[in-house]
Amino acid sequence: MENRFLNIFPGLSEERAIELLYTPMDQLEDASERYIAAAHLVNFPSARAIDALLAAVENGDSPLDNRIVRRKAVETLGRLKVERSLPVICACLQDEDHYLVENAAWAIGEIGCNDPEILEELTALLAKPRQSYRTIIQTLAKLGYTPATGRIAAFEQSPEPPIASAAITAVGRLSGERAGLERLLPFLQHPNVNARRGVIQDLMDSEYCEAIPRIAACPVSAVFRLRGIRHLADAGVPTGAVSFEQVESSLDRVIVDHPRFLEPVHRYERTPRLEELIEELYSTDFGRCYLATQTIIDYYPDAGPALVASFEAAGHNDYGAHYHIVKLLGWLRFGEAREIVVGALHDRRPQFMKSRSAAAVALAELGDARVLADLHSCLDSFIWELKYACLIALEHLEDPTGAQIALQDADWVVRAKAERQCTAPLAH
Amino acid sequence: MKSVVTTVLAAADAAGRFPSGSDLESVQGNIQRSAARLEAAEKLAAGHAAVVKEAGDVVFKKYPYLKSAGEAGDSAEKVAKCYRDIDHYMRLINYCLVVGGTGPLDEWGISGAREVYRALNLPTAAYVAAFQYTRDRACAPRDMGPQALTEFRAYLDYVINALS
Repeated sequence: MENRFLNIFPGLSEERAIELLYTPMDQLEDASERYIAAAHLVNFPSARAIDALLAAVENGDSPLDNRIVRRKAVETLGRLKVERSLPVICACLQDEDHYLVENAAWAIGEIGCNDPEILEELTALLAKPRQSYRTIIQTLAKLGYTPATGRIAAFEQSPEPPIASAAITAVGRLSGERAGLERLLPFLQHPNVNARRGVIQDLMDSEYCEAIPRIAACPVSAVFRLRGIRHLADAGVPTGAVSFEQVESSLDRVIVDHPRFLEPVHRYERTPRLEELIEELYSTDFGRCYLATQTIIDYYPDAGPALVASFEAAGHNDYGAHYHIVKLLGWLRFGEAREIVVGALHDRRPQFMKSRSAAAVALAELGDARVLADLHSCLDSFIWELKYACLIALEHLEDPTGAQIALQDADWVVRAKAERQCTAPLAH
Repeated sequence: MKSVVTTVLAAADAAGRFPSGSDLESVQGNIQRSAARLEAAEKLAAGHAAVVKEAGDVVFKKYPYLKSAGEAGDSAEKVAKCYRDIDHYMRLINYCLVVGGTGPLDEWGISGAREVYRALNLPTAAYVAAFQYTRDRACAPRDMGPQALTEFRAYLDYVINALS
């Protein structure tokens, strides 16, 4: 499980978090304190912490600030897979707060459950208006509740793409009929970014390894694509469903992440001005960021100074634009910005993690052999994407020692990449 | 972009009918509140940088996770806080105030976000705390008129509700 954000309140002790959770809302210094305590207790799975979380779930006071505490407590109990919390969590399934119902369904899926009564109660929610159908469908599929298949199939035609793709996935998983899963692929090109992100999760849940090259070309953040491809490789390589050699080119493409590898879903009526394009790099829809990146490469090869100015003004503190600017400084071979790129390679802020891989690739583009030591130092990282990016960068810079070091890596994908580099002739 | 007006007309059009009395009442109610909403939108547009910074600073000061997640040697500049998401939601709230409905948040900000936050384990608690703080510290008439503040708070609550 991704855990770099789990312990985000390190100053908050277990003792204090439990105390806060028991404190009445009107005696809190800030409205958010109980919510934060409920989130934070995921780090302390003691009996006392679990008792406090259970009490929070059972506190049915209706103000919003309490409702969100209940939801977070349910989520935390799910993350901790607390079996004894199932009765309390199941009691939430009939609550009027549909987000609480959603979190309860999700938590039941995390904890695991084969009680047909509970599974039938979950299925019955599909007939209730205004529910989080996608989450409920995902949970039923995860728990393998085949009697729900027909009722889930009715959602395959939902006008909401994330619900439709979850239903197609669930029917495929529950019936074992994989032929229908092909219908998931067009969602990778949906104009709505949530539909594109959602279907990657669905392809992961389906273990649909055939989709790996299509995921690689989907215009969403590389984080989502790598998460999907990595999951499918972890599942498919041991069973022989797919080989590392088959996955490698897709992985390379996403790690290198040049916009020409993507199938864009947006286009411009006219070529925007450079300032407009740089503004697009701050968009929350990465599909738009990649289109802007490609357009800058094609039409504004001298954009380096403007990109640096934008980075200094705002991009250094915006984890989206930060990534795209670092990439572009590499694609445009703007060597004057070398310090920015080296800085990004060593940036430890958790939200800026993907910029580190971007920086490794950009440094290779800048073709500066002074950075070999920087790239080598990153091979000690716990971030597999960064190590993989460093291997690609070092190969580009014709340095064979990186691959030698990585042959011993703890991560099998990094090892497999290093082995390929050691046995195959250098690409450049 | 969805608003009360477009929703009412889309429903009437789908049924091939004229808007009903209650349809027109809901449009009327929406228009009556528009002056307050636009006042809130104007104040938020003018002061969003300060609003975002204040909310973010308070949360990060109280819960300094960015500072501890880094490693020794990081300078103060390096751990400068990233308020990108808070600002993004403030912008969507501004659009909601202008349009008079939750369409902008629903279309761009919220749907799908819950799953992503849960799957990637992103720190929504910090964002929720920032929006709760903004909601609770904003006051009339210092920041905006009382009705404008009611409208602003309603959309802040909408974001808090949807993210948590």
